[in-house]
Amino acid sequence: MKRMRTLSKIREDWVLYCMLIPGITYFVVFHVIPIIGMKLAFQDYRIIGDNVWVGLKHFKLLMDSSAFFDVLQNTIIISSMKIIFIFPIPIILSLLINEVRSGPFRKYVQAVAYLPHFLSWVVIAGVWISFLHPLDGGINVIRDFFNLPSIDFMTSKEHIRWVLVFSEMWRSAGWDSILYIAAIMKISPSLYEAARMDGASTYQQMKYITLPSLASTVVTIFILNLGFFMNAGFDQVFNLSNDSVNSVIDILDTYVYRIGILNGQYAYATAASLFKGLVGIVLILGTHYISKKYTGNGVW
Amino acid sequence: MRKIPWSKVIIYSLLLFLALSVLIPLLNLLAMSLSDPKRVNELSGLGILPKGFSLINYKILLSHPLILRSIGNSLLITIVGTLLNLVLTTMTAYVLAKTQFIGKKVVIIFLIVIMVVDPSMITEYLLIKDLGLLDTYTSLILYRAISVYYLFILMRFFNEVPDGIIEAARIDGAGHFKIFTKIMLPLSKPAIATFTLFYGVYHWNEYFRATIYLTDPNKWPLQVVLRQFVIRQDNTTLLSGLSSESYDVLASLDFPSLQAGTIIISIIPLLFLYPLILKHFAKGALEGGVKD
Repeated sequence: MKRMRTLSKIREDWVLYCMLIPGITYFVVFHVIPIIGMKLAFQDYRIIGDNVWVGLKHFKLLMDSSAFFDVLQNTIIISSMKIIFIFPIPIILSLLINEVRSGPFRKYVQAVAYLPHFLSWVVIAGVWISFLHPLDGGINVIRDFFNLPSIDFMTSKEHIRWVLVFSEMWRSAGWDSILYIAAIMKISPSLYEAARMDGASTYQQMKYITLPSLASTVVTIFILNLGFFMNAGFDQVFNLSNDSVNSVIDILDTYVYRIGILNGQYAYATAASLFKGLVGIVLILGTHYISKKYTGNGVW
Repeated sequence: MRKIPWSKVIIYSLLLFLALSVLIPLLNLLAMSLSDPKRVNELSGLGILPKGFSLINYKILLSHPLILRSIGNSLLITIVGTLLNLVLTTMTAYVLAKTQFIGKKVVIIFLIVIMVVDPSMITEYLLIKDLGLLDTYTSLILYRAISVYYLFILMRFFNEVPDGIIEAARIDGAGHFKIFTKIMLPLSKPAIATFTLFYGVYHWNEYFRATIYLTDPNKWPLQVVLRQFVIRQDNTTLLSGLSSESYDVLASLDFPSLQAGTIIISIIPLLFLYPLILKHFAKGALEGGVKD
């Protein structure tokens, strides 16, 4: 009887299932198949015929490869620099913007701050390469004004990681501040009124009302960012790298691209991808549970 | 006169400094591309006004066959891709947000898993290869045909449409497809406008998949050509498209200015859309909590 009702309900809703088919088909073909395809990490790729299972061969090769450890190290260094130096900026920016009463100034600052988010990394790299040009780039014009020698940032191993940090900041700090601005706007104005009546200064209001109210948003975004830790910004490195500096900014994804797409070592590159993906999942779950335990805030 | 507190002065000047640090590098490229090629070396790296005025860079770029074709390719991929995005995303979002059916929970869990687990670029490449889609526009149109993030956000928008309206339509005999096209879509125009912009910007800016899926330069979108000129400094390709120009014109060209011009051309459509983007999407992002 129950099965009959289930069947008739399914028959009744046939239009719904038809409407779902295109979307689900897309996800199965373009997500599920390539995810299952990652079993290639445990196989040898054959152009003709079936791939051969080789167990952990490619992972062993990875662990024995000094190139792999170099890119792993670069990935960790670059991601850590980004988290330390970029993560706080949108929070600070949202606090600053919050202090500006709504009006044209606030509107224009926000409009300008969000703009770089919509530019492709090709464009951003072009803009930065020009702005950092050793002869007439804006930064070196400023350095020249202070009588400092010109620096060729793009080919300097010492500076290139900072170029990554600052260009990422340039691109994303404004847009990422939206989430914090939204969280600040949800804080009840009566809290600020009460604080002002008690004589709290702007700084005290920021410290005792705004920042504590932002805590859970900060934690959520921090954990989500850690989930992308192993990415370290593929598009950015792909467009800003060159032969002189590649050894210090070559990251896991650019390595996968080079050995996989360019050199055709598909299985080995997939093993590196899979390793990266697993570390990413461990990081996001790990921080989620630690944060949940100690602060009560998590992603879900 | 009212005293302006120091804290305000500091905050306003900091924000002004940040805004200028975003704008000046962009305006500098614009100034470079509009300068007279003979005088462009007078332009400082911080200058935002062109030295002299000449449209020669744009005249050259917009008569370059590779660039013209790539603009056409980009428009094709962006328009068809975005239309497909919208049809798939809205239809799927309607079914998942506004209806009850057996298996809904399974589908939602499936989508969450999809959102968390990303396939490798290698297996995606091999899939496109196996499907025989290398060197086709279809490979780029189908790439990210639905973004799970946008799907979930759109579901949240759809959920806000009052159930009463749908119930009323159902009593009047409207089926799901009719409710979707005649009620949900018209009622969620602002949300759909937002996602049109999101997806459109995404397609316009996409370059990496195009780089690995398309080997035929005639099929390249603008971003790939831009990368070839600006990042890979491929002046030969740039020059070879200009064979019809006279020797004098070629000799007077300034490559950095041409590169700057190409960057500006690729940003122009975004700048036209930007006011709309701000109107819709910053608002949508504030309400929906969008994280790219």
